[in-house]
Amino acid sequence: MRNPLIKRIPRELRSDWHKYIVIILFMVIMIGVISGMYVGHDSMLAAVYGGREELNIEDGSFELSKKASDELLDGIASGEKADVRAYYIDKGNKEADEEVAKAIEEELNKQVTEGIEEAVRAQCAAYGITDETLIQQQIDKAMTDSFDSALLEAKESDEYQKAVEDAYTEAHDEVIKKVDEKWDDIADRYNLNDEVAPVPVTIYEHFYREESEDNNNDGTEDAVVRIYKSDSEIDKASFNEGRAPEKDNEIAIDRMHADNVGVKLGDTITVGGKEFEIVGLISYVNYLTLHSSNTDQMFDAFGFDVAMVTPDAFDNLTARVHYSYAYKYINVPENKVEKADYSDSFLKSLITQTLVHDSEIEDYLPEYLRQASNFAVSDIEGDSAATSILCYILIGVIAFIFAIIISNTIDKEASVIGTLRASGYSRSELVFHYMSMPVIVTILGAVIGNVLGYTAFKNLAVYLYFNSYSLPTCHAVWSSTALVKTTIIPLLLMFFINLFVIVKKLQLSPLRFLRHDLAKTKRTKARRLPAWSFLRRFRLRILFQNMPNYVVLIFGVVFIQLMLCFAFGLPDSLNHYAKEAPNMIFADYQYMLMDYMDEDGNIIETSEETAEKFSLEDLLYPKAKSSIREGMGSGGDESVSVYGIVADSSYITLEKDTKDGVYISSAFSKKFGIKEGDEVTLNAEYENKSYTFNVIGIVQYDGGIAAFMNIGDFNSTFGHKDKEFSGYFSRNEITDIDEQDIGAVITAEDITKVTNQLMHSMGKFMDVFKYALIVLSASLIYLLAKIIIEKNESSISMAKILGFRNGEIGGLYILPTAIVVVIFSLISFVIGYMLMIWIFHAFMLQMDGYFAFYMTKASMILSIVYLLIGYAAVSLVDFRRIKRIPLDVALKNIE
Amino acid sequence: MGKECLEISNLKKSFGTGEARQDVLRGMNFTVQKGEFCVLLGPSGSGKSTLLNIIGGIDTPDEGYVSINGDKLEEMSEKELTLYRRRHLGYVFQMYNLIPNLNVKENIEVGAYLSDNPLDVEEVLTTLGLQDHKYKYPNQLSGGQQQRVSIGRAVVKNPDILMCDEPTGALDYKTSKEILALIEDCNKKYGSTVIMVTHNEAIKNMADHVIKLRDGVVRHNDVNESKIPAIDLEW
Repeated sequence: MRNPLIKRIPRELRSDWHKYIVIILFMVIMIGVISGMYVGHDSMLAAVYGGREELNIEDGSFELSKKASDELLDGIASGEKADVRAYYIDKGNKEADEEVAKAIEEELNKQVTEGIEEAVRAQCAAYGITDETLIQQQIDKAMTDSFDSALLEAKESDEYQKAVEDAYTEAHDEVIKKVDEKWDDIADRYNLNDEVAPVPVTIYEHFYREESEDNNNDGTEDAVVRIYKSDSEIDKASFNEGRAPEKDNEIAIDRMHADNVGVKLGDTITVGGKEFEIVGLISYVNYLTLHSSNTDQMFDAFGFDVAMVTPDAFDNLTARVHYSYAYKYINVPENKVEKADYSDSFLKSLITQTLVHDSEIEDYLPEYLRQASNFAVSDIEGDSAATSILCYILIGVIAFIFAIIISNTIDKEASVIGTLRASGYSRSELVFHYMSMPVIVTILGAVIGNVLGYTAFKNLAVYLYFNSYSLPTCHAVWSSTALVKTTIIPLLLMFFINLFVIVKKLQLSPLRFLRHDLAKTKRTKARRLPAWSFLRRFRLRILFQNMPNYVVLIFGVVFIQLMLCFAFGLPDSLNHYAKEAPNMIFADYQYMLMDYMDEDGNIIETSEETAEKFSLEDLLYPKAKSSIREGMGSGGDESVSVYGIVADSSYITLEKDTKDGVYISSAFSKKFGIKEGDEVTLNAEYENKSYTFNVIGIVQYDGGIAAFMNIGDFNSTFGHKDKEFSGYFSRNEITDIDEQDIGAVITAEDITKVTNQLMHSMGKFMDVFKYALIVLSASLIYLLAKIIIEKNESSISMAKILGFRNGEIGGLYILPTAIVVVIFSLISFVIGYMLMIWIFHAFMLQMDGYFAFYMTKASMILSIVYLLIGYAAVSLVDFRRIKRIPLDVALKNIE
Repeated sequence: MGKECLEISNLKKSFGTGEARQDVLRGMNFTVQKGEFCVLLGPSGSGKSTLLNIIGGIDTPDEGYVSINGDKLEEMSEKELTLYRRRHLGYVFQMYNLIPNLNVKENIEVGAYLSDNPLDVEEVLTTLGLQDHKYKYPNQLSGGQQQRVSIGRAVVKNPDILMCDEPTGALDYKTSKEILALIEDCNKKYGSTVIMVTHNEAIKNMADHVIKLRDGVVRHNDVNESKIPAIDLEW
């Protein structure tokens, strides 16, 4: 026979549907939004990573000054270093040989001529001829008659042979000496003497042109568009809409750029003076963000575009061709370090091969350093941190609500439980029975939530990403993280919390259930109250009697405040950081140079008075991984900028000697709780090197995770030459450094640009959260208030029987709750705020960089007001509920 | 009848400590035969409900023992006690303690589910006069009807012993007599031993065996030779 108790479950669901609807709604929103975020996130990453394979992303690219010869391409593809020394020697020898040959020829001619002249003059003297004209005639004749034979004779002489040999040897020796002198410098600079294994590659022609783009055909340039051929075999594009160009007047352009400038499929734009119809909106696999140059701090999806046209259309364009070549390693590197080693090795081959083939490198960039293909990915990868934190808070809230509901249900059904136990129902049968409801509701919520997560909410998340980046179209992929975090963990948590509460509650003997004797401890005497008015004492009694419920309510209010602090505080903190960022920067301009020397080997100097040299190394601080899946949400390691600062710097003051340690920025200290006297170990990202430093002081700088040391100590630590440096700090713009020597300029504006971008991509995300949280808060208060009224149903009914009016009963049962809510919404705001500071810190640990939690006064007040408004609305519902409690409740359910 | 079903030996039980200590059972001894209709009679505070709870295995004595069909309850683990209640006992309380969201028939099935050889639910419904109400929920029934359901839930298990704790305590005179008659019927029809706790002196007249309690001890332990049907009881 099936346990008849099972039949209760659907009826329970039906009879208490509004309670369960609220809970299911709560779960659906929570699981839906969060799994949507995860699924969107994972789908996006899957699309991006899948695209890398499918669309054949390069491992790097280089641009040459002219089209490469087949020999050069073969040389580069071999990955072998060309023998530059031999090339120089060979070249030197050739030049020397020519010079030597020329010199010998001249000398020989001179000597033969002189020899003939001397012989003729001697002969003339012997004959007594003194007439110079006659002598000259004899000389000319002798020259004509015997120069060639004399020359031949001279050339055949041993003396001559030896002299020539000596001259060549001497010249060749001189060439080697000269080459060696210069070679040491060159080899040193490019580490050409290191023995590294060759990295063979496959090379693809990937030429492009940069033309002007006129979106509205008004004759003015709106953007620069980088155009590739549509038949490219490498770095292909995925089509968000439309197709590849087939005719010569067709073009496919970046989807994000099209969105931003407001053009769509079918529109005509003018590119390089020719009209093109847009037939495709694309996302190039290596342009997920429209960084036109790798040194750009931020991408520019308005002023820069990438596009494809047919090969013929490409040939018909007029802007100069950039001879760009992409390459792929034949042996795939396994990790970052290997990638870095490969690219170093490849660069040597590239430099030497272009040199020996008389070409010039215009640009070189390994893919792993390419902003345009990695910026979005690392941003998306880091995004799940906020979602996780929110997820954990909400799981806690739901588990907690269920625990209250179950506990109340058991209290309410004490007599039935007692009777069933007395009749022989075992504890485990009842545990199973009472467990089924939360399990069913959780599963229901989880299923609906997941369905919505994989559909509507996923699209929302993807939309948010699409708003920021030029991403390929993505399809929902199965996200194990989403399942674990939004379904498995809540289910397990729900299961075990409820199991714990139910088992603990059902521990009591059947008799105690029959007697409704469920309290753990019992007061033997009633509390004494001052001689206040009757109603006031009555109210207090109700408060005391419902103490456990109020404790639960207070916890609920704290949770809600925490959530509201989160919803209000996160955008506030971002805004605050954006506002404060310009004040945080320690130099108005920070010029990062490509190298400390220019092309001619001269150290780059400036006449700007406020300029000050600094050195910089980017290292990694290992973070404790805090998420289930490696990488996801963990945000990887923290990037630390280690600065070398000149003595008596006017930008950063280092009081102590940094021989034995470093100063760290206040942001670094706060984020990881590092104090003076602690040790920090920093690792090089692309090398197997670690550095351990003592922290000898804190520099007040909240703008970034940084460490500072004296430039001398910096150079000796990192093995740099004394004269080496990375760039200049300056208060004013530096105008006398060649632009091509400047890698990047960081100004206050750049920091704000980053936070603006953050606000742009996270702002909408936060709004979604805010509204979801407000709905969740209201439902939570609704549930808790409902539980209090339900628990007191028979007392309220009895009060009605005794003749109390609804208003008075409302005053008795709602007012204490209202007072408790008001007082505790203030107290719990403080608690929630403090908790949020702590949680935010944990959240920051998962992100790169640091900024503290901040709330504006208006937000603080609003977060309390929102809660009170929510409560006021719930109170009205409660009052209606009190009015509807029938008189016979007290009479029928005496139990 | 005639075979000993229940033995109570030197049963003692007190509540509280020190000055507040209250001896509820102070050495109680008696036996009940199989199939007997036994009434435990006494004023409130005489320890009759405590005694019933101890017999039912939901309370434990401080001293002495309860033996049912030769098995001592004190020697049973909690699991065995649950099994004992499941197999041998049916409970009827003063409050009906029905499950509000199960209908009449289902409430009775709750009892049937526990038994290895339950009675036919439909038959029990007929016996208890609940056929017309079997799809109603408890809150659609009168007190008497609810008590019938509660009896049905206990009886359908076909228990060895039917424990009734003031089953008519909350009912009016006429309904009380109907309920008593039903219990009497069940006793006769299904042969269950009935142990009924009551403070109503009149009920002793329908019993085979009357045990009067006062201040925690058995004052009278009588076999009723001239029992009358429940329907003829007057009080």
